[in-house]
Amino acid sequence: MRKRQPFSWRTLLLLIIVALSGQGCFGIGSNEKPFATVSHSQSVSVNQGVFQGKFYLTINGNLYVLNGATQTTQELVDTGNVMDPAVSPDGKWVAFVKKYQNYSDLCVVSTNGGQVRVLRSGNGYFYNASGLIHNTYHWYVQPAWSQDGSTLLFLSDLEKEDWYQQTGQDAPLLDLQVFATPFHNPTVTPTAVAYATYGDGGDQNPSYRPGHPNQIIYTHYTYDAATRTQQVIQLYMEDPNAISENPGVYYPGSPGGGYDPAIAITPTSSTVTDPAFSPDGNAIAFTKTDSSSNQMELDVMPVPPASITQTPNDPTAEQLALHAYETESSHLLTNTYLSEPVWSPDGKQIAYYNYSNNTFDLWIAQVSYNAKTSKYSLQGNPRQVTSGGVDAASHPVWTN
Amino acid sequence: MKCFQATFFNKAAQESPVFEAGEEWAFLSSSFRKPLPDSRAAVPGPSTPWSRQRLARRRKIPRCGCVVLTVLALLLLTLGGVAASLFFTFSSSLNQIVGQHASCAKGTASNTDQNRINILLLGSDTDQKFQNQPLAQTNIVVTIDPTAKTVGMLSIPRDFFLDVPGYGMHKLDEAYSLGGVALSCLTIEQDFGIPLNYYAWVGLDGFINVINTVGGVDVNVTHTIVDDTYPNDINNAKDPYALERLYLAAGPQHLNGQEALEYVRSRHADLVGDFGRSARQQQVLTALKSKLDDPGIFGKLSTIANELKGSVKTDMQLTDVLKMMNFAKGLNVNAIQRLVLGPPYSTPGTAPADSGIDAGASVVFPNCSEIIPALQKLFQQGFQATCKIEGNPGVSSRAASQQNVAASPANHPLSLAASMAGNGNTSAELRLESVGSVGGNCVVSMLDGPGDLFGVRSMLDLMFLAVFESPDVLQV
Repeated sequence: MRKRQPFSWRTLLLLIIVALSGQGCFGIGSNEKPFATVSHSQSVSVNQGVFQGKFYLTINGNLYVLNGATQTTQELVDTGNVMDPAVSPDGKWVAFVKKYQNYSDLCVVSTNGGQVRVLRSGNGYFYNASGLIHNTYHWYVQPAWSQDGSTLLFLSDLEKEDWYQQTGQDAPLLDLQVFATPFHNPTVTPTAVAYATYGDGGDQNPSYRPGHPNQIIYTHYTYDAATRTQQVIQLYMEDPNAISENPGVYYPGSPGGGYDPAIAITPTSSTVTDPAFSPDGNAIAFTKTDSSSNQMELDVMPVPPASITQTPNDPTAEQLALHAYETESSHLLTNTYLSEPVWSPDGKQIAYYNYSNNTFDLWIAQVSYNAKTSKYSLQGNPRQVTSGGVDAASHPVWTN
Repeated sequence: MKCFQATFFNKAAQESPVFEAGEEWAFLSSSFRKPLPDSRAAVPGPSTPWSRQRLARRRKIPRCGCVVLTVLALLLLTLGGVAASLFFTFSSSLNQIVGQHASCAKGTASNTDQNRINILLLGSDTDQKFQNQPLAQTNIVVTIDPTAKTVGMLSIPRDFFLDVPGYGMHKLDEAYSLGGVALSCLTIEQDFGIPLNYYAWVGLDGFINVINTVGGVDVNVTHTIVDDTYPNDINNAKDPYALERLYLAAGPQHLNGQEALEYVRSRHADLVGDFGRSARQQQVLTALKSKLDDPGIFGKLSTIANELKGSVKTDMQLTDVLKMMNFAKGLNVNAIQRLVLGPPYSTPGTAPADSGIDAGASVVFPNCSEIIPALQKLFQQGFQATCKIEGNPGVSSRAASQQNVAASPANHPLSLAASMAGNGNTSAELRLESVGSVGGNCVVSMLDGPGDLFGVRSMLDLMFLAVFESPDVLQV
């Protein structure tokens, strides 16, 4: 009887090649092991040892905490309509938004989870007024805490029916404006903090400057004054009390018009969004879109002198406000999509959403500051925190 | 390796005294499975140097070759099976889209420009309602002039208050509800003098499903989208005129089908109106077409074809759709004209008491003095634009229309239209043939490479054309 041929080395080699190819296909072989897999309708893994502290973010509309110390993932709210988490300075509360078909609620939950409390509800109804359909619904989005935890900034269309006469516009002001409400008494009428101009979505990403309770920053969307067809997207700083302390002085406006207490810290020629103050309040991380290449940048700039928000409509202050951006910006990264930067609690890293392999995921870049040049630079290669996709329109929070 | 094997086997066959013509194939095929006991007995004994060498070579080579060839054979078989399966799947799906029996009713409108082809695109809220005749939210006439190599798009607002033959003054979107495709065509033919050769109906749900099937789209939302008067007409049988509010944060993000539809459909989210909407549509189309161009889409094509089956219906043939889309895509963007009958071509108002709908309902009154010259320009020579109703709330043609509806069903405008419809398609088909030849890049094959497997891509373009109400889809 014929002796069976021993297993050929060529066959073995072929099997090894097939196995290695399979590894590549299935993503096996990465140095970093996922320590947690988030699984609702989407599988998202978190890489081990990439970060310290905690990340609060949303995946498929559910609120998660990624804990770098315990290597665990906790789902705080699982209703599938959550966005915009913001953690209180004392680390006890997460303010967030629950979005419904026509409105949203501003909510809060303990950082340990538990019962969700609605701070303000935007629920309402449609009604007919002289043949025109109006409604009493409201949006409450993108909450941000003051450093003492007493006040919440948020965006809303609260005053949408209030400005027909003042602005001469024959349409409600749907564009979102910045408001503030006391955390412990959220049902009182919120205070207007920053106004919008008609027609381009209003303001976005408001936040207080750490160590400077009289300064906030946000992204302002409008159209150019000359043609009213070209978008102008800039970062603005402002004294959050200027409007409330000067009743009747400031008001929302049309492109190129209006009069408000904000001052632009980036020029009209650049499309700059997503400002994030460093923990010491001295630097601003932001994203910039290159209109020619449609690529996005992650950059850092120093904060302009604090005096600019005291004289917002003064031409000298306006020039001074742009100086830091124009002369001291540091470029860190470029990619198709980069968004929602957030600093690590020690200010040595910046987390952001990056678009890779057709998903938006959380990445971390190590940065260093050179006091001589007043510039930031990237240290090493950015590292990926999540794989599988997170909600890129809902910003992350990084705490101790 | 292959050459070496072939040489070896041929040599063995030549040397073996027991091999006869035709047996070489048996030898080759059996070598894939086992070590050939019969053939070994037929060759000189294993003790000779030649046979040892031959056996050694036979053992070494086929082992590796067998694996490769077996894998290749299996691969070919699998691919063949998949291709056959896809063909039957797509054929079945697409055949339920094209060649619909319901056809555009032919009115009295005529066009002396025999080469021009006019196609009515109707968009409805949900799928599965083609037979049930819901309202048609989108009413677009695509006009193709193969001679001049131009394409035009006329968008007529759904709330246009006009004479629906046999039913009096109604909103345009109600024509579809009252009499389906035939009455929609007849209304436009009668009221504007536009002869229609074909129609295509699209359910907006299908767009949502297609986007969800490809896994959504990733775009940079260039500013926060806020809209308080977005039509809440998807799966809303209770009130097709209901409104809803939109909020979509600015920034890069993933959009599912529903969000993508809202992003491209919202008309009130920009100060720049349709310009902003057009820019948003370009974004979504670019992202969507990038996904459709990805080779990974092959696995989802049958699902997409299935989605299309329920959400697109046309009386064109598949080859006609392919020709039309390729012709339009081959044009310069400047050659595509667009006319939207918003202001100054119309004026918003409320329905008068003597109309076919509730008094006080929101309608749009045509401004005929502006519309006629605009239509004349869009449809060019040989076209006699009409505009049967004036933008005056106090004037209704309901009474006059009702006089046209005789008691006998045979005299009903739709019956008349149906009887005339039979004569229309032949000439239209001939004109579409000319589109193919004039276009220069006409597709005559169902298989146009990976870009348009079985015509699915062209069907998708037809869907996008109706959903976006914009010729931009042809240029992305």
